[in-house]
Amino acid sequence: MLRWNKVATVIRREYLARVKTKAFWISTALVPLFMVAMMVGPTLLMARAGGRFTVALVSGNDKISRGVASELERQEKAKEKVSDLAITLRIEPLAADAAAQRSKLKREVLDKRLNAVLIIHDDVLASSKAEYLSNNLTAIRLISRLESAVQKVVVRERLIGAGIAGERTAELTRGVDLQTIQLGKNGEEGAGSFIQSFFLSYIFMFIIWFTMMIYGMYVMRGVIEEKSSRIVEVIVANLRPYELMVGKIFGIGAVGLTQYAIWVLVAMNFAIPGLIGLSLGMGNAPVLSPVVLAFFLLFFVLGYILYSTFYAAMGAAFNSEEEAQQMQGILSMFMAVPFVLMMPVMNNPDSTLSVVLSLIPPFAPVLFFLRMTIQMPPVWQIVLCLVLLIATIFLVARVAAAVYRVGILMYGKKPTLREIVQWARSS
Amino acid sequence: MEPHLDLKEVCKRFERVVAVDMLSFAVPRGAIYGLLGPNGAGKTTTIRMIMRIALPDAGTILLNGVPMDDDARERIGYLPEERGLYRKMKVAEHLAFLAEVRGLARPEARSRSKAWLERLGLAEKANAKVEELSKGMQQKLQFAGAVIHDPEMVIFDEPFTGLDPIATRQFKDEIVAMSARGTTVVFSTHVLPQAEELCDHLCLINRGRPILQGLLADVRARYATRALKLTSPASDAEISAAPGVAAVRTKNGTRIAELAPDAVASSVIRELAARVPLEAIEPFVDSLEDIFLKAVEADHVALE
Repeated sequence: MLRWNKVATVIRREYLARVKTKAFWISTALVPLFMVAMMVGPTLLMARAGGRFTVALVSGNDKISRGVASELERQEKAKEKVSDLAITLRIEPLAADAAAQRSKLKREVLDKRLNAVLIIHDDVLASSKAEYLSNNLTAIRLISRLESAVQKVVVRERLIGAGIAGERTAELTRGVDLQTIQLGKNGEEGAGSFIQSFFLSYIFMFIIWFTMMIYGMYVMRGVIEEKSSRIVEVIVANLRPYELMVGKIFGIGAVGLTQYAIWVLVAMNFAIPGLIGLSLGMGNAPVLSPVVLAFFLLFFVLGYILYSTFYAAMGAAFNSEEEAQQMQGILSMFMAVPFVLMMPVMNNPDSTLSVVLSLIPPFAPVLFFLRMTIQMPPVWQIVLCLVLLIATIFLVARVAAAVYRVGILMYGKKPTLREIVQWARSS
Repeated sequence: MEPHLDLKEVCKRFERVVAVDMLSFAVPRGAIYGLLGPNGAGKTTTIRMIMRIALPDAGTILLNGVPMDDDARERIGYLPEERGLYRKMKVAEHLAFLAEVRGLARPEARSRSKAWLERLGLAEKANAKVEELSKGMQQKLQFAGAVIHDPEMVIFDEPFTGLDPIATRQFKDEIVAMSARGTTVVFSTHVLPQAEELCDHLCLINRGRPILQGLLADVRARYATRALKLTSPASDAEISAAPGVAAVRTKNGTRIAELAPDAVASSVIRELAARVPLEAIEPFVDSLEDIFLKAVEADHVALE
């Protein structure tokens, strides 16, 4: 039986020993910065993936060449947001010896005098053929700018060819702005887009996963430290290994909750609206309902307890972090599985596959919660998921306690099978 | 009277090594009991079995006549041989934590830990981190942590290793004081003069088996060779020629004349005084160390 007053003593020690350190406060300050950098950084980089590009435009059709040049200019004026992408177009008429011209331009690209070559075939109106040559095909924004400019010009020319007046072409080729609307349970319409939903689900999933991993590792390190500092034997008479393990898991979990509470308070006050707006490049980001947030907390806590119990057992079974690393790798791989399964689940959160996967206890904290952020699953599934998860936690805790009891007092040598059996029989 | 702690035919085997082999001994209530023996004799394994850190393969361990279990174990203060502390904790907080773990309420834990720090001369280190303490100071902290809840029995595994003479004296005084208050003390050591000074009961273990045990005084009376210590210019041959002298040896510069089994010390002294010039002569008592060395040697011979 757990004696909770003893466990409370351990919890308090674990909690204070960590919260009182400078490292706690430094990581509390640095982790959000790091996360923001990871989330916002790529978006900003993408948005700013500008620079100056020199592109040679080869075409036998002078009208098209000039059309593309003026379309690019127009785009540049229209979109202030991306004004940092500067394209210098060098128009080259198609030479008599096309092959020689092509190899000369290739040379220039390789010598870095040109970034790319855009070849629009003479019969483009009929064949729709154009070529883009570069040693770097990842300059996605440059390519899409050129593509849309050429597209517009070609379509316009076709319209003119079909007898439509030039001044009407701009109006006729206007694009469509597809608005995505998220439907709620009762059919209410909300703002949202795939990107927004995806980001939001992803961020929360990431937080759960990240926390299980980081704090689980703290637990493991704590157990190993305890072993190597030889403190266990000093307190073993009055504190059973199980109590020590539970106290450690809860104490470190409380540290994690404290850290999150600090982040949430700070974020609610000023950071989040700005950040989400910034990272998604849009205004009214969808907000998770309080129910989903409550489930977030629940899955976060249950997931943490499940995995930190694994980690605690691992710490007890090994003598050093180096020794534990291999097993830890396997556990990390296991924990990464939900990320692999994320896309199918997101695409169809109610499919049988998604439901089954999200009910598997080790994946549930991440996958079941992911489904919740998209669409609230039926109550029976929620109940089943929680029952399975909690039952698994108790099962794992029992096994971990057995490993812990034998492992925590073994220094330098692995427990033999005989010893494990002996303990199992005595308890 | 029922022994406080009673081991009956306890055995423990590791892989192929037999660490403890049919070990039985009883610790009377209120005794200072020395568990003695050379390195590797099985002392620590025995203590770890008493503390249920290792389980015996066979045999029983009784506390107050009842088989030892996790609850009974709580009544024993234990200072292990491999002992550690949380290095980053403050000294006073650490001691209070140990006290709380041992079952004291928080205010009591705090006031007792303060009192113990003062008693051990660590009061000015109360707010230092454990890792800032010297090894000896850490050992004092561990000692206090083992006895702070006034257990009915304390078990110390090699309590004096690494201590300077002043701290050793301090520990011994504390042990004697504890015993005077009625606490049963069991300690292990391989340093026999320390045991000789401290314990009233003892058990000598060699290769996992007891080879001598009982009251210190009884062991002495039974196993000490009777001899005379003397200072004389006479040769060994001249001395051993005296009736009642069995042999003469020199140990650490002193000459010792061992008595024949039936000889009476006072008459041998008279005989010697009449035969050879004597500067000094007095009865000689074997130290515990001598007794044990002989016993261990005899044990090894018996095994071969």
